[in-house]
Amino acid sequence: MKNIVIGQYIPGEGFFYRLDPRTKIISVIVLMVAVFLLDSIYHLLVASGVAMILLLVGKISIGRVFRGLRPLLVLLVFTFVFQILFNRQGAILVNETLTLSATSIVGVLFLTVLWRMLARRGKFRFLLLLMYLGGLYLAMRYLTFWWQITTFPFVIYEDGVTMSIFVIVRLVVIITLSTVLTLTTKPTDLTQGLEKLMRPLKVIGIRSEDFALIISISLRFIPTILDEANKIMSAQASRGADFAEGKLKDKIKQVISLLVPMFIIAFKRSEELADAMESRNFVPGKPRSRINELVFNRLDVLTSVFVVMCLTGSILIRVL
Amino acid sequence: MSYIEIEDLSFSYTGKRKILENINLLIEQGEWVAVLGHNGSGKSTLAKLMIGLLDPMSGSIKIDSTLLEEETTYEIRKKIGIVFQNPDNQFVGVTVKDDIAFGMENLLVPRAEMLEKIDFFARKVGMSDFLDKEPASLSGGQKQRVAIAGILAMQTKIIIFDEATSMLDPYARAELMDYIRELHDEGITIIMITHDIEEAMLADRLVILKEGKIHADGAKKQLLGQPEVFETSSLELPMAIRIAGMLENNDDKLKAVKEYLWEFSFDR
Repeated sequence: MKNIVIGQYIPGEGFFYRLDPRTKIISVIVLMVAVFLLDSIYHLLVASGVAMILLLVGKISIGRVFRGLRPLLVLLVFTFVFQILFNRQGAILVNETLTLSATSIVGVLFLTVLWRMLARRGKFRFLLLLMYLGGLYLAMRYLTFWWQITTFPFVIYEDGVTMSIFVIVRLVVIITLSTVLTLTTKPTDLTQGLEKLMRPLKVIGIRSEDFALIISISLRFIPTILDEANKIMSAQASRGADFAEGKLKDKIKQVISLLVPMFIIAFKRSEELADAMESRNFVPGKPRSRINELVFNRLDVLTSVFVVMCLTGSILIRVL
Repeated sequence: MSYIEIEDLSFSYTGKRKILENINLLIEQGEWVAVLGHNGSGKSTLAKLMIGLLDPMSGSIKIDSTLLEEETTYEIRKKIGIVFQNPDNQFVGVTVKDDIAFGMENLLVPRAEMLEKIDFFARKVGMSDFLDKEPASLSGGQKQRVAIAGILAMQTKIIIFDEATSMLDPYARAELMDYIRELHDEGITIIMITHDIEEAMLADRLVILKEGKIHADGAKKQLLGQPEVFETSSLELPMAIRIAGMLENNDDKLKAVKEYLWEFSFDR
């Protein structure tokens, strides 16, 4: 349980590591806006080229970024399928009739079972999902004999294809940008950057210092509490609890046997932590000096200029 | 005028059962006092009262002739620090460096001075190679040492150890006791709250609490001459004293063993 990595941060050196977190946060937001302003696929491809160059400059491996995309694959596939099925504009590319018959239903069921079984093994899940979707199409297209129940049209329009590609590329670019931020910025620096940026919110009564302290303490206690969860799970397992298997009802029971002690211990911890903080003269809301300082240097100026140029560029493209 | 003056101090959580009753205690600068007591004797409550985490029901605490009350807690806490039992629950910072800095940040120490002090005090407790490490990768003993560095960096003159070694392994415990001895040698007043009699033997003075009252208070050697004091407060006597007791009233050779044991344990 030692050396748990919180967040996606990977220690390293390079251009992005030397930037002030404030610059990085604002740049990512501004670049996202710039990307959203683009409305043609060609401009977007240029933008993704720029994103690639950024990765190269920062010596960030593209594989890393794509691993960050993995949890969003399902969302991407869903967007793709949705656009293809429901966008009704432009020239017709494919016009087929699909059939729901006794054989095709059996085919669909068979494919579903096969897909779930293979997916359980946990390898090539994404590929399997694509093959499953393709299989569904083939089954309903060609298994037309016996007891035709109903038929329905399957039409793909040109805009459906371009739009789906457009949306996906846009998402990928945006996620790449935010991944660069999280890969190269320590969670603590990130909170400190956010704290400084949220300073103006003091006007409406939000104290960003408190907010930042809460986040940094939470980050600090994540490994401690994970460690504890493991201990409690072992303790409960030695008393016959089984967290891995059993019916849903049993599983819920087991989770409760984990959560109740976790909460009790967490409350006790927080009380002791509050005592420790207070005895070291912490007074909420009182000004404090800082050991970690953010420095805005020449690289930050350079980055800001670049980001402003990107934004102006996409505004000009939009307007002209 | 003593350095720490506790006068007629009583405390109760509910108003009915008193956890502490009429405690009178004077501690001089540079003393090493062990506050001994069985579970529930009120010894940890005394520590929390001294640092202003709890408000007394009656009585007063004066530290360096400042009366401890709500307006003065901030000033008092510059003079007195506390190391708690659980190493994890008092580690505030994300890294060792941040944690040592935490108290100084609260005192508005300028950054350059903080960096200097962090370096100095981390070296002092042998943690200078771990400044950027996270608490999850430290042992319990290391975390307690970081806690000590954090307090020392605040320039405190008194440190309370509230069962600070009870969650450590024997090796880390001995090591921490060595650091405490060093602090004592430098003139820092040490108040050690413990139920471990062998640990208390390192102190110069013992204060034994029993059911919220001071049962005995005196120099270590003087109290060790009265074994009944320990027995009546359900504390086990140090091993050497127990053996010496067994040898009592026997022939001269055994008396020699007794003297040897005494010397071995307490006069080193």
